[in-house]
Amino acid sequence: MSYQHPESSRRVLISLVPVICPPEAATLAEAIVDHMALTIGQMPPLLLKALAAGFTTYDLGALPRFRKRAHKLSPEQAERYYESWVHGPTPVHRQFGQMLNQIMSMSCYEQPEMMARVGYHVAPWIEEVKKKRLTVFADDIKKQEASILAPDPLRPGLTKAKKEVA
Amino acid sequence: MAVARSALHEGAGPTGVFTRHDIHGDTVIDCDVVIVGSGAGGSPIAAELAEAGFDVVVVEEGPYYQTRDFTADTSAMVRQLYRDGGATIAIGNPPIMFQEGRAVGGSTVINGGMSWRTPDDILDRWRKEAGLDVDGKSLDPYFSRVEKRIHVAPNDPEAIGNENLLLKRGADKMGWKYVSNLRNQVHCIGSNRCAFGCPTGAKQSALVSYIPRALHYGARVYADVKVDRMTFHGKRATGVLGRVVNTESGKSHRVVVRAQLVVAACGAIHTPALLARSGLSSRSGRLGKNLGLHPNIKIIALFDEDVTSWKGVHQAFQVREFVEQGLGCFAAVNLPPSVTAMSLPHKGRALGEIMDRYNNMVVAGLLVEDTTSGNVKIINGRPQAFYQLADRDIVTMQKGLVLLSEMMFAAGAKKILLPFHHASEMLSADDTRRFFSKPIPASSWELFTVHMMGTCAMGSDRTTSVTDEFGFMHDVDRLLISDASVFPTPCRVNPMETIMTLATRSAGYVIDNAGRLFS
Repeated sequence: MSYQHPESSRRVLISLVPVICPPEAATLAEAIVDHMALTIGQMPPLLLKALAAGFTTYDLGALPRFRKRAHKLSPEQAERYYESWVHGPTPVHRQFGQMLNQIMSMSCYEQPEMMARVGYHVAPWIEEVKKKRLTVFADDIKKQEASILAPDPLRPGLTKAKKEVA
Repeated sequence: MAVARSALHEGAGPTGVFTRHDIHGDTVIDCDVVIVGSGAGGSPIAAELAEAGFDVVVVEEGPYYQTRDFTADTSAMVRQLYRDGGATIAIGNPPIMFQEGRAVGGSTVINGGMSWRTPDDILDRWRKEAGLDVDGKSLDPYFSRVEKRIHVAPNDPEAIGNENLLLKRGADKMGWKYVSNLRNQVHCIGSNRCAFGCPTGAKQSALVSYIPRALHYGARVYADVKVDRMTFHGKRATGVLGRVVNTESGKSHRVVVRAQLVVAACGAIHTPALLARSGLSSRSGRLGKNLGLHPNIKIIALFDEDVTSWKGVHQAFQVREFVEQGLGCFAAVNLPPSVTAMSLPHKGRALGEIMDRYNNMVVAGLLVEDTTSGNVKIINGRPQAFYQLADRDIVTMQKGLVLLSEMMFAAGAKKILLPFHHASEMLSADDTRRFFSKPIPASSWELFTVHMMGTCAMGSDRTTSVTDEFGFMHDVDRLLISDASVFPTPCRVNPMETIMTLATRSAGYVIDNAGRLFS
C-alpha cells in the first residue's frame, strides 16, 4: 500500500509551498506535495510516526498565536510561523522545520520544469556518454566482461568434490 | 512446500536469479552455503565458493535490477535502490542520516566506487588492539584479487569533470597533498550517476562483477526475500527463515534455506539485528556496539565560471593533507538539483536564486575519522542506530570546514554556503574563520554517512570481540559474518575494498577448512 498524505497533512504542506519553494514553483504545488508522498512513503516506520505527529503539532501549534490552524494562515503568517519552528525553542522544533524544508525542496527540484530551469539535462547526457563508451572502448569492455567469468580459482586444486543440488 | 521454478521471467534476469515473481508458495531450498546479503561482503564469498564447487544460495532483501533499469529519474532510483528511501537516521544530537543500498549488489550499486586498500596503520591498530593476524603484506594477494575482479583503476583523465579539477586547483594552490582516486570502473565516462545505479555499466559493482561470476559458477540468487532469522541445531547454524511477497498474488510465502554454513552479510546495521532476532548474543557484550560512522559534512562553493558538475566522474581526487588530524579526506561530488536543494538552508526566493546558479556550484565534503561509537538496538523487530557525536569530533569538523573553505576560496570560489540554518553566506576565508571561532551547537550540524562499521567486531579474544579473525562468530558453529560490521575500528578510507578483501580471505578459510566445516 503506497503512502498517501492524510488530508490535514496535505493541507499543511500545500500552505508551505509558497514559503519553502521559489516563486517559480507556485504552480507546481500539487505535484510537489504528491512527490513528497513518494519520498515520505519510503521512510522507516519510526520516522513516519514522528512525521505524522509533527504535522499535527505543527498545524495545531499555530492556534495560540494566530487563532487559526497553520494550513489556514495567510502567506505572511505562514512564513512567520514556519520561521518560528526553524529557529524554534527546542531541537525537535528545529529538526522538524528543517526536515520539511529538505523534503519539500527536494520534491520541488525533482519537477522537470525546475530541473530544466537550473540547466540540468542529465537524461540526454547519459545517453550520449553511454553510446560513446560502448563505441570507443568496446574492446576493453568485452575484455572485462570475459574476465568476470574466466576460471580463476581462489585455491587452485581445492574444490568441493561433490556438488549437492537442492 | 514448493520449490521455486526456474528464474527466467520474461527476460527479467539471468538463469539462477529468482525474484518475487518466481516464488508462488512456501519454499524450501537446500544448499551448502546460504549468504544473507549480496553486497560487498556477500558477493565475493558467493563467487569464490561457487567457483570452488560449493552449492551457494544468496538471499537478498532488495530487488534485482540490471544496468538497463538505471535511469535519470533520481527520486525513483532512490526509492528503488535505497533502504527507507535513503532517509535512515542514527538517533542522536544531531541525528545523522545514513544510506544503505537495498538491491542485489547491495551498497556497491549506489556507492561512488572508491577502491582503497586498508591503510597500513589501521591494520597495525587492528593487530595490536584486536589481536588480528593481518598486515598489508599478508592481505596483498586478497587485495590484488579483489582489484582484478572489480577492475580497480585510475579514472580516465578526459572524464574528470570541472568540480574535481577545481578541487585539485584549490589543493595545488594551498600546497596540500591529494591522491587521484582509484575506482572500480572500466572506462567510466562521467555520467556522474554512481549514487543512483550506474547507467552505463562502467562501475564494476557487485551487480555486474561478483554476482554474474557467482551465477556463472552455479550460485542461485533469491531477491526480494527478507530474512527474519537464522535457524540452529544446538550451537550450530543450520539455515535461515525468510519471506517473500509474490507480485501477482500479493501473498506472503515462507522461504526456508537449509545450509551447512550460514553467512550474514547484511551490513553493520542489519547484521547485528539479524543475529539478535535469531536469539544470539556475544559474551563480549559488543554485539551491536562499536558502531563507527565516518560522519560526513558538505559545503557548497559558488564560482563565477561554469562548472556543470553533473558531467564528469563521481569523485576524482581526495585531499589527504589532514589525515593525522582526524580528517580522512576532502572531496568534491556532484549532487542532482533535488539533493542539492535539500542540502541548502535557504527557502523561497532565496532558494530559487541560489539554485539558478546550480551549474556554478561545487559540492565539497569532508569525512571525519570518528573517535566515538554508537550502537544498534532492535525496536519492533527493526534495527535502530544510536550515535552521539563526540565533542572532539565536532571540533575536528569545525577545523575541517575552515580548511575546506580556504581551499575552495583558493580555487576561485566567490561564495561558500555552509550547511547551517543560522549561517550567512561566506564571502571569504576570513568570514569562515570568524564563523567557526565560536563552537557550533551539536543540534545545528547536518551530517550524513554511508560508512557504517564495527557492530560485530573481529578479535582474537572472545571476551572482547564478536567474531574471530576470519569473521566466524565466537561460540556459534558455522556462522560467518562478512561485512563492515567486523571492522574492529573505523577504516578511515572508503570501506568497500576492505570488506571485499576480508570476504575473500574468509572464503579462502572456508575452502581450506571444508572438511571440518562441511562434515
